Amino acid sequence: MNHFGSGELETAVIQSELCIGCGACVRLCPYFDSYRGKTALLFPCAVEKGRCFAYCPKIEVDLDAITRFLHGKPYDGNPLGHHRGIFIARAGEKVRKQSFQAGGTVTALMVYAFRSGNIRGAVLTNRKGLLPEPRFVTRSADVYRASLSKYTAAPTLSALNEALDKGHGNLGVVGTPCQVTAVSQMRMNPMDKPGFKDPTALVVGLFCTWALDFRRFETFLAGEVPLEKIVKIDIPPPPAQVLEVYLEDGKREFPLDRIRPLVPDTCGYCPDMTAEFADVSVGVLEGRGDRNTLIVRTERGERIAREAEEKGFLVLEEMPRENLEHLQWAAGNKKKRGFLRSREAGKVNGEPGKTLFRLAPECLDGVFQDR
Amino acid sequence: MSFLIDEGRNIQHLLMGNEAIVRGALEAGVNVAAGYPGTPSSEIIETLSKVARDRNLYVEWSTNEKVAVEVAAAASFAGLRSLCVMKQNGVNVASDFLLHLASSGTRGGMVLVTCDDPGALSSVNEGESRLFAQILEIPLLEPGDFQEAKDIIPWAFALSEKIRNVVMVRSVTRLSHGSGNVRFGSLPGTSAQAEFVCHGPLLDPETGPIISMILAAPELQHGPQQEKLKKAAGIFETCPFNTYQGPDEPELLIVTASICSLYSREAVRILGLEDRVGILKLAATWPLPERLVKKHLAAAKRILFVEEVVPTLEDHVKVIAAEAAGEIGAKTFYGKKSGHLPSVGELNPDLVLDALARIFPAAAGTRPAASPGGVTDIPQRFTPARGMTFCPGCPHRASYWSIHNALALDGRGGFVCGDIGCYVMGTLPAGFSTVKTLHCMGSGSGVASGFGKLRSFGMDQPVVAVCGDSTFFHAAMPALANAIHQRSPFTMILLDNRGTAMTGFQPHPGSPTNVLGDEAPALDMEKICRSMGAKVEISDPFDLVKTREKLNRLLEYGEGAKVLILRQACALSPEKRGQRKYEVSVDAERCRGENCGCSRLCTRIFGCPGLVWDREKEVSRIDEMICAGCGVCADICPAGAIVRKEVAR
Repeated sequence: MNHFGSGELETAVIQSELCIGCGACVRLCPYFDSYRGKTALLFPCAVEKGRCFAYCPKIEVDLDAITRFLHGKPYDGNPLGHHRGIFIARAGEKVRKQSFQAGGTVTALMVYAFRSGNIRGAVLTNRKGLLPEPRFVTRSADVYRASLSKYTAAPTLSALNEALDKGHGNLGVVGTPCQVTAVSQMRMNPMDKPGFKDPTALVVGLFCTWALDFRRFETFLAGEVPLEKIVKIDIPPPPAQVLEVYLEDGKREFPLDRIRPLVPDTCGYCPDMTAEFADVSVGVLEGRGDRNTLIVRTERGERIAREAEEKGFLVLEEMPRENLEHLQWAAGNKKKRGFLRSREAGKVNGEPGKTLFRLAPECLDGVFQDR
Repeated sequence: MSFLIDEGRNIQHLLMGNEAIVRGALEAGVNVAAGYPGTPSSEIIETLSKVARDRNLYVEWSTNEKVAVEVAAAASFAGLRSLCVMKQNGVNVASDFLLHLASSGTRGGMVLVTCDDPGALSSVNEGESRLFAQILEIPLLEPGDFQEAKDIIPWAFALSEKIRNVVMVRSVTRLSHGSGNVRFGSLPGTSAQAEFVCHGPLLDPETGPIISMILAAPELQHGPQQEKLKKAAGIFETCPFNTYQGPDEPELLIVTASICSLYSREAVRILGLEDRVGILKLAATWPLPERLVKKHLAAAKRILFVEEVVPTLEDHVKVIAAEAAGEIGAKTFYGKKSGHLPSVGELNPDLVLDALARIFPAAAGTRPAASPGGVTDIPQRFTPARGMTFCPGCPHRASYWSIHNALALDGRGGFVCGDIGCYVMGTLPAGFSTVKTLHCMGSGSGVASGFGKLRSFGMDQPVVAVCGDSTFFHAAMPALANAIHQRSPFTMILLDNRGTAMTGFQPHPGSPTNVLGDEAPALDMEKICRSMGAKVEISDPFDLVKTREKLNRLLEYGEGAKVLILRQACALSPEKRGQRKYEVSVDAERCRGENCGCSRLCTRIFGCPGLVWDREKEVSRIDEMICAGCGVCADICPAGAIVRKEVAR
């Protein structure tokens, strides 16, 4: 594996504006820190090969190695990633009723995982004002507070690193595709630490087309609405093409054309819409704002989802095949765009330490040919 | 009682050059002394303050050097003898008033003592005050040893009263801070009566107002001022401190002044050239005593100038030689311009030896072999190499830690404009290389005020200025006023370490006591900044988290000037000295050392001298001898391996 240190990471990712601020390098050491959505290297570190570089989802991501680690087979470029089943899902009656982003599936899974003892801690993202706030929680009751989408990039994984530093294990993690990629790399024990044990028990991925740059988004919204009155933000599924901001006393809509300039450039390199390296991935069901799409990927993900269904935390329905067409099309498009952009920048199977992705060249050709 | 007011005439004391200057001032019957601290001058006012009550003196640390000269001038106007004291850089600050003072003239004797710092040992530049004497058109004296440092002061006062103008006396670091035997003279009585006689005719120097107002009639004041200088030049022909030693017709004439005369004597002696080389040591160096100089030039064909910093003697003597060339013949000159002596840095006997050895190659063999690399090489061979850094427990290290991190996290390429104090080391790794501009007292805030207005040209980098508490009163307040009035969005960080710490804790207008230790009204910087219109925050720099958070918020806070006061006394301050707040230790089991997750943050980056890297055990430890017990390092350790325990009182 091509692993380097913090200096190379800073040059290749932060200075090249590839950093999404996921927090994978934060709280591992005193050198990286995150502030208002941006990650900074405070001082040069002298370690030649660091965890920061190994975990980063924006540099030297070996898609084959990750897929082999998770599923025992190579990366094949499937638009939705490896999966065992796809369902329409929503929270069951055992889950406290409250405001969810869609069907409450993520909250339901995490609450059940806590209650059943599958996880003993969870890494989530709360919100403080408009600012997403990484949180490590150890009680199911705390899960509810993190239930709404943030839409801005968040250093969530700094909370994971902090929890690991304190020796926590059996963790649930909820994250965007880039964050889930970082978590999968961390689970692979890239620094060959002796006695390493995978600290995660359930990784829930969130569908993501792009995230917003927090600072740009805040500046934008501050000129439009009173920030302190925001209660929820939503991007309803197509064809709406708007971002909805729910205020204490009403709702404002902004066309996505005004929002897209607030997306950091790095999202354009991303080929993963459905968090392919999670145990299960969750998104909003197209055409039904109160239901989720649930992609079950791993054995442990399947087991926990089925148990949650049996115990009344989750309601699952089979996904009709025709419903998947648009999702597959959208995910395939993102994959093509992301790989194309990365390849044009010389960041697919390129120079060691400066490459975003590594995968079999035939597989890459397959992605581009697949219409 | 201080030995400096020993009445015993002819008794000898070992005195530091600055103490000799003090004794000289006391023997001259000085009444008023004012100054601003600055190495190597600070001991003069401090020492005078210790005998102030016994000798009926008024002594003060002024807000800045310009004010110090103004305070001293008032005493002169009222017929008293007054002394003002500063380092070279202070003369720059005072120069505006000095130019007007030289024009208006003085009454009671007034002497300006400036202590220059060749080699910039304790300065941010190697400035030269001698040139001011020319610009100001006032006489300049340079004592050449410790006895002269005392004796020249009463002589300077007398000269000042003869020509009715301020006289400048220049010392240098090695004279001010070196020590030598000084034979005392007698002390006058201590009674003095002040009265400003000012109701006479406009231009009457005895009874009229004292004004600098030429108004298109330079002959009224500038003319008389130049007459005073000519008079001084005449007196300088017989100045007892101009000396010559050597043969009547030397093969080489060394023209030198100040401490360089001692280097010259030593070098000539070491090479055994006493019979071939003459040394003209001038104490009256501006205006030069032309007849005296011409006489010595006539006796030698080759001339070597031995002086530090700017070649002023060299230039002025060459002018005399050129004017007298028909009479005394052509000369060969050696010095800075010929490359025989370096044009920057301090001189020393070795450098003069080198110059002489080039002029007298045959004599070079007699040079002693004991110190092949020169006398200055000896200490360097036996002391370990070490970067400049802040003391253990210094608040500046903690402040810069937070400033550096706040700017890095802010991520917009922000920078710090530096100012004068120990915190100049913010330019170095000791201060995490946070400071990106550095000039003179108060200029950090002025430059920052300017940077702040460049937003309209697309510059969106946050601008920060650091400023010490004494510096704030000295020269930074006008810059802050400017920034507030011009709506310049910069953040001024007041590094309030409770005194003029770098020069030895002299009080400033924000201090609760004056130079005598008497209670004095302390100006409140926080209230001043608020009433000026700045948004003000206060933090303890030892609280790294809160300080960083406050600074980040200020950096984001919209328009106008903001002030963050970081208040924590200097680790060496009288109130802290010897008292540790915490016992600090390292838990070797938890120390991550060079591994991923630390990479020796405390010893490699934070760099407090109280933290030591144990190469054998590969862990950090505390040097208990020098740890000041501030406990800040416990907050930077990522592993919680640095443990602090409050010391029971």
